[in-house]
Amino acid sequence: MRGLVLSAISLALLVLGTIVGLRFYRGAKEFKVFLGTFGGAVVLYAGGFWLLPSDLGFLSAGWRESSPAVDFGNGLLILALVFHGFWSFSYFVCVSPSMSALIALRLRRGAGLGRDEAMALQGSAEPVNLIFQRRLPKLLQGGYVSEEAGRYRLLARGGKVAALGSFLKRVINAQLA
Amino acid sequence: MLKGLLLSGGLMVAWALVQGVVFHLRAPRKAFGSMVMWFIPTLPVFVLLYYYAPANLGVLPERFVGIDWRIGLVNGLLVHVLLFLTAGLFYSHADRSITVRLLIELARAPEQRMTLSQMQRACGVEVLMQDRFDIMLRNGFLVERGDRFALTPKGWLGGSVGLVARRLLRIKAL
Repeated sequence: MRGLVLSAISLALLVLGTIVGLRFYRGAKEFKVFLGTFGGAVVLYAGGFWLLPSDLGFLSAGWRESSPAVDFGNGLLILALVFHGFWSFSYFVCVSPSMSALIALRLRRGAGLGRDEAMALQGSAEPVNLIFQRRLPKLLQGGYVSEEAGRYRLLARGGKVAALGSFLKRVINAQLA
Repeated sequence: MLKGLLLSGGLMVAWALVQGVVFHLRAPRKAFGSMVMWFIPTLPVFVLLYYYAPANLGVLPERFVGIDWRIGLVNGLLVHVLLFLTAGLFYSHADRSITVRLLIELARAPEQRMTLSQMQRACGVEVLMQDRFDIMLRNGFLVERGDRFALTPKGWLGGSVGLVARRLLRIKAL
């Protein structure tokens, strides 16, 4: 139970820290903020676990896990699972084209949204769609693709991700692009 | 706690195998709905297994037994639900990731090379938004009224959550 309590406290601080961190972060690699706050939360959790008394000053005997290793691992597992959910949720709401369409519709208060307007939200009229404006530079910088004479070439690193993606799509029986 | 974690882990493996078979045999149109439908029965199964199985599951050393059974049960259920949600997110990453889709298109292209216009034709905004609108219509977030889309109550709720979350979380779309 000590692990659960400390995990909950660390998660609350992680969410707050991420919100504050994103307000001050000026770069385009927001994942660093997420990983940084997660690292901080893990340190806080581990430090609290080893420094604080096993009953945290209020847990009764029946509420205490008899194995400290299980207690610690359980809290860390929950911390990691909730963090993964928070990270995925954050990127989904902020970057997802589907969410952009839902928010645009929500702000229009019943006016509706045509296909062309939805496309325009993603910069369809621009030479490079927003989808590519965001992703291509990251793929180039990350060494997943290279640009040669106006064409993009898949590099070994990108090939591995594509192979893994194809494998996962086969596992879930999804259409391959 | 270990009892609940082990029971949850075992049930999740069984669920993942069943769900994999369902995906291959039936290819459900509402994939997440199918995942939820097959997951929900594991919750009462978990509770029954937890209630009837011995505290040490017949194999655990005594040092792993002893916490209040209600704490162990609630903790096990919490982990069970979190594992399911994580599996759902992995499904989403595999099925919806635009970056992965783009890399797969490149891998399948002749000489693994594409121009920007070829990439935009293969997985650009037109293709992507069509795909997303189909999914949102199918899952009841949107309805089509003439040539325009409108929110359903479910879509309105989703949009509202997104609106608040975007105000809090400053991740740039670019």
